[in-house]
Amino acid sequence: MSRIVVLGAGISGHVAATHLRRKLSKEHTVTVVSPNSNYQWVPSNIWVGIGRMEPKDIIFPLEPLYKKKGIEFKQAKVVTFHPEGDTEIDKPFVKAEYVAGEAKGTTEKVTYDYLINATGPKLAFEMTEGLKPATHKAYSVCTYTHATEAWHALDQLIQQMKQGKKAKILIGTGHAKSTCQGAAFEYILNVEQELNRHGVRDMAELTWIANEPQLGDFGMDGMLLSYGSNIMKSSELVEMVFEDRGIKWIIGAGVNKIEEGVAHYETLDGEFHTETYDFAMLIPAFSGHGFKAYDKNDQDITEKLFRGFMIVDADYTPKPYEEWSVQDWPETYQNPSYANIFAPGIAFAPPHAISKPRVSKNGTPISPAPPRTGMPSGITAKLVADNIIDTIKKKKPSLHHKGSMGNMGAACIASSGYGITKGSGISITTFPIVPDFNKYPDTYGRKLGKTFGEIGLAGHWLKLALHHAFLYKAKMRPFWWLIPE
Amino acid sequence: MTRRISKRKRFIMMNPIIQFFKFIYLSLKILVIVAGGHGGTREVQ
Ligand SMILES: Cc1cc2nc3c(=O)[nH]c(=O)nc-3n(C[C@H](O)[C@H](O)[C@H](O)COP(=O)(O)OP(=O)(O)OC[C@H]3O[C@@H](n4cnc5c(N)ncnc54)[C@H](O)[C@@H]3O)c2cc1C
Repeated sequence: MSRIVVLGAGISGHVAATHLRRKLSKEHTVTVVSPNSNYQWVPSNIWVGIGRMEPKDIIFPLEPLYKKKGIEFKQAKVVTFHPEGDTEIDKPFVKAEYVAGEAKGTTEKVTYDYLINATGPKLAFEMTEGLKPATHKAYSVCTYTHATEAWHALDQLIQQMKQGKKAKILIGTGHAKSTCQGAAFEYILNVEQELNRHGVRDMAELTWIANEPQLGDFGMDGMLLSYGSNIMKSSELVEMVFEDRGIKWIIGAGVNKIEEGVAHYETLDGEFHTETYDFAMLIPAFSGHGFKAYDKNDQDITEKLFRGFMIVDADYTPKPYEEWSVQDWPETYQNPSYANIFAPGIAFAPPHAISKPRVSKNGTPISPAPPRTGMPSGITAKLVADNIIDTIKKKKPSLHHKGSMGNMGAACIASSGYGITKGSGISITTFPIVPDFNKYPDTYGRKLGKTFGEIGLAGHWLKLALHHAFLYKAKMRPFWWLIPE
Repeated sequence: MTRRISKRKRFIMMNPIIQFFKFIYLSLKILVIVAGGHGGTREVQ
């Protein structure tokens, strides 16, 4: 009889919990500890942020589902890790603090046989001075509440533009080390289309600001992709789209301070600039949650579990960019010190960036952190769950399931406008996510054909189909497991 | 605004009939790439 505790009910935590529950008999307990009461399909926040979807379209309450399916749910946030137990409890546990209900504010030691840390990133707005969602006219779309606030502000601005106001809109990354450029990219294109739909496109100056050294870097060092019968760089593809839609861009820019309607930033050439705006959507830096870990005698062992995010089976030896290898990336997401702890999704510490690290002339690091999108988050969560299931069933350690981001494809369907007949999407698939320069030396480390771009209405339909399919799957409706991660 | 996408290309991008077939093609292609499997990298070494 085993108890598996899953921390976090985002994409990876939910995927792990649902697969564990489906494949393990009821004598084993699956417990989810997460502060959020609702599951949210994060990618569709973009559409909440332009008012084309409402939060209710992208969320559902977790507790009733978990109750029905036999998954124990604690609406709590983990605060500390105790992988050896303590002087009172001879079992590993995490300390969790309830955030809702009668138990709110109280803590519990939640013991486990296997622990899956799927707590994703902390949205570290505080790393940029003055950046806080819905203040200083700057917004976020990282959660559905942020996206709702963004839409209210954008809607007001659109109404003012209809009255003749000229407006400046700034969208991109809000920190020199932000990741998730893809989400901001989708948002700027969706905003552009909505401005057109409301007949106010001419009244707006739309600017992209990002820490990417080139357009289309996406934290992945850019890519060489097949586009129709051509071979194109992602920078050329994005440049084509931005020029076509009249979007200006500022790149190699580390935003370091936000004031009312003003973004301060430093560029790679060491210059300091400001950009004014009437509405901004800036993705913050993502960081680890700052968890602490203690051994049996209450000694701090945080460095065994965390280096910002959780330590897993990656090669963390510091090396120059030229020596980075695809083999540095983890395969099983198991913590090397404690074999019963795993960290899929965004919760694991990457060995290094994917995009070449760059510093400004003043020594400020300005380059994207490595992205871990929904698809790899789901895939890594499932393989972690499968290894735990095998270990339990075979009664001996099994790490048969492996999935390195250097041997995994990802599809990024970037919405570039909403609407059944007027919508558009930029479908970009990448294989592998982390470039493998040994296998694919002539094509920037990726396999052409499997790394391709497509623009058009079909991309929007695909994104919409994925929205419905993944919500169906997350709700564990009949045959949900047939839908791949 | 600089026109970078030709009228013909734009027509193809937005024509629902052409795009319907593209949708089927893309869905299958993505399924093959993504569900086509993943694995480690170290054993290969
Ligand atoms: C606006 C936006 C659009 C995106 N669009 C796409 C897209 O189109 N395609 C794509 O592939 N990816 C997309 N992504 C990325 C994708 O959403 C992430 O890769 C994915 O959500 C990561 O999953 P995760 O489970 O690792 O983390 P999260 O989804 O962040 O989940 C983390 C979970 O941990 C919980 N948690 C936090 N702290 C604690 C704690 N102390 N204790 C317990 N639980 C805790 C949280 O409440 C949450 O439930 C987008 C991201 C954003 C922000």
